[in-house]
Amino acid sequence: MRNIKNLNAVKVITIAVSLIITLFIITLLLLVVTHPAPGTIINALGTKEIQFAIYLSLITSVTSTIICICIAVPAAYALARYDFFGKTIVNMVVDIPLALPPLVAGVGLLLFFGTTAFGDFLESVGLVFVFTPLGIIVAQVFVNLPFMLRIMRSTFTDINPRYEYVAETLGCTHFQAIYRVVLPMSFNGFLAGSVITWAKGIGEFGAALLLAGATRMKTETLPISLFLNMSCGDLELAISAATILIAISVVSLFIFEKYGGSAKF
Amino acid sequence: MICINNVSKTLGEFHLDRINLEINEGEYFVIIGPTGSGKTILLETIAGIYSPDEGDITLNQKSLTNLPPRNRNISMVYQDFMLFPHMTVEQNIGFGLKNKKTDADVIKKRVLEITKIFGISHLLYRHPGTLSGGEKQRAAICRAVLMDPVLLLLDEPLSALDSRTRELLRSELKKFHGMYNTTILHITHNYEEVFSLADRVALMHKGEILQTGTPDDVFEKPKTEFIAEFVGFENLYQGIFVLRDGISSVEISGVDIRHNNSPTVREEESAKICIRSENIRISREKVSDTDVNVIFCKILDIIDNGSFVKIIADAGFILNSVMMKKSFNSEELKTGDTAYACFDFDSVHIIQ
Repeated sequence: MRNIKNLNAVKVITIAVSLIITLFIITLLLLVVTHPAPGTIINALGTKEIQFAIYLSLITSVTSTIICICIAVPAAYALARYDFFGKTIVNMVVDIPLALPPLVAGVGLLLFFGTTAFGDFLESVGLVFVFTPLGIIVAQVFVNLPFMLRIMRSTFTDINPRYEYVAETLGCTHFQAIYRVVLPMSFNGFLAGSVITWAKGIGEFGAALLLAGATRMKTETLPISLFLNMSCGDLELAISAATILIAISVVSLFIFEKYGGSAKF
Repeated sequence: MICINNVSKTLGEFHLDRINLEINEGEYFVIIGPTGSGKTILLETIAGIYSPDEGDITLNQKSLTNLPPRNRNISMVYQDFMLFPHMTVEQNIGFGLKNKKTDADVIKKRVLEITKIFGISHLLYRHPGTLSGGEKQRAAICRAVLMDPVLLLLDEPLSALDSRTRELLRSELKKFHGMYNTTILHITHNYEEVFSLADRVALMHKGEILQTGTPDDVFEKPKTEFIAEFVGFENLYQGIFVLRDGISSVEISGVDIRHNNSPTVREEESAKICIRSENIRISREKVSDTDVNVIFCKILDIIDNGSFVKIIADAGFILNSVMMKKSFNSEELKTGDTAYACFDFDSVHIIQ
């Protein structure tokens, strides 16, 4: 039997802290998913409201993830490969939405699309972002872009630029070297970034609430549904939405850990 | 002929300072120099990865300077292989020909031919992650040479390998060069690679080419004190030229050292000389040959390095000698003994 005097105090305390927090998180999640009676979640999934929330969440989150990829991949490549005037500031500013409270981001977006001439112009050509599903997409892009950007920047930084140099000496243009060598090599980071961006998008609440509002069956994503049903006391529907969000989070985190490698966010 | 004319390039802390080199067709040219001397940037500038700030790079008098890497037909192999991890060995090696839209059957045939020469034809369907260092470097070399480049750039291709693999691959490179006569520019900091592979060698330091010549020229007749130190001369002395009875010597701490150089120097001018440790023999008996310097000395230290012995002796100045263990043992010398340091006049090199 191991002598208790030999146990390292630091080791015991730190492991105990990590176990306690793990237990706390698991307890919270179990409380949510075991709260409704068995079959309630299945019934809730059959309601039009939850089906609409799932549908809208999927459409907006997939669209915002695609937009994030289109912006983040080239921007991350530039930040990983080139030195240019203002790079430090750009690096810092593109990360600001990460630290910004989503509600503040929402206020900014609301002012931008609701009170500026540019917002008026977009409205005049039919692009209305305030209190519409389009607003949800914009809010998700704004808040979640830094996740994709940081992961892709970290992924590109980890790929030695000499792979591109070799590809160029073997007949590729610079663009072909990126397309045929760098992008396939960054697949894991790309997958991990996309999944985490999508998962964050599907759970986006604060900024989307301020810009798109919380209108039942119109701008009702899963987190908005959770909020609306909690507000009016329909706990079953609220917890059904919460359970779906938990499942998405856990699966996404698993994919991120499996494929993320050294990618960081 | 590849000519590098007055090429300068600054890249962060590294810089190339008016580099001039001429590499003949079919030549195996080696650049040697310490880490951080700008060797890799020079190769990357020749490959077209970087544009020179000044100067011109020509191939048979046609400028390559403004051509992108893909249009230069110059291939490059790095120390750390740079095999594309998402492709098989076959796909990696055939990558360049595929970019040239070569017929798939032709690519397959040529990949097989080249991999047979380097002994990796059995690895074609493996991914780089499953290969040993030597196999990876062979694949990287195959990928580069399959393009039939006008110049093959090798950036320390053997440095990341164990000594046995390095030796094998060195002889394969020599064999390949003998077969195909490809013009090769190889950079290294390994002396053995210079002697076993190079037709000519250039020594580079802090972005400058300091000396160019055959390996014997550079390693036996260094032009500067730095080169002498870098190529392994341990005995470097500052003295003055003296003329006694019509014989020119260099006097160091009151000891005359004869030499066979015929430098254009005047008597009493200062002189720098260098002597290789392995050319100095420490002997209990005085050697009576006519063309040998014989200097009385006291042994300060004896360092046993296994197959050879290093002796540090005081002759009024410090002398370093390296002798084979067997011949040292036959002298039965120990620390504190007096002895004679003997070395040929020919082994004394005067740094101009």
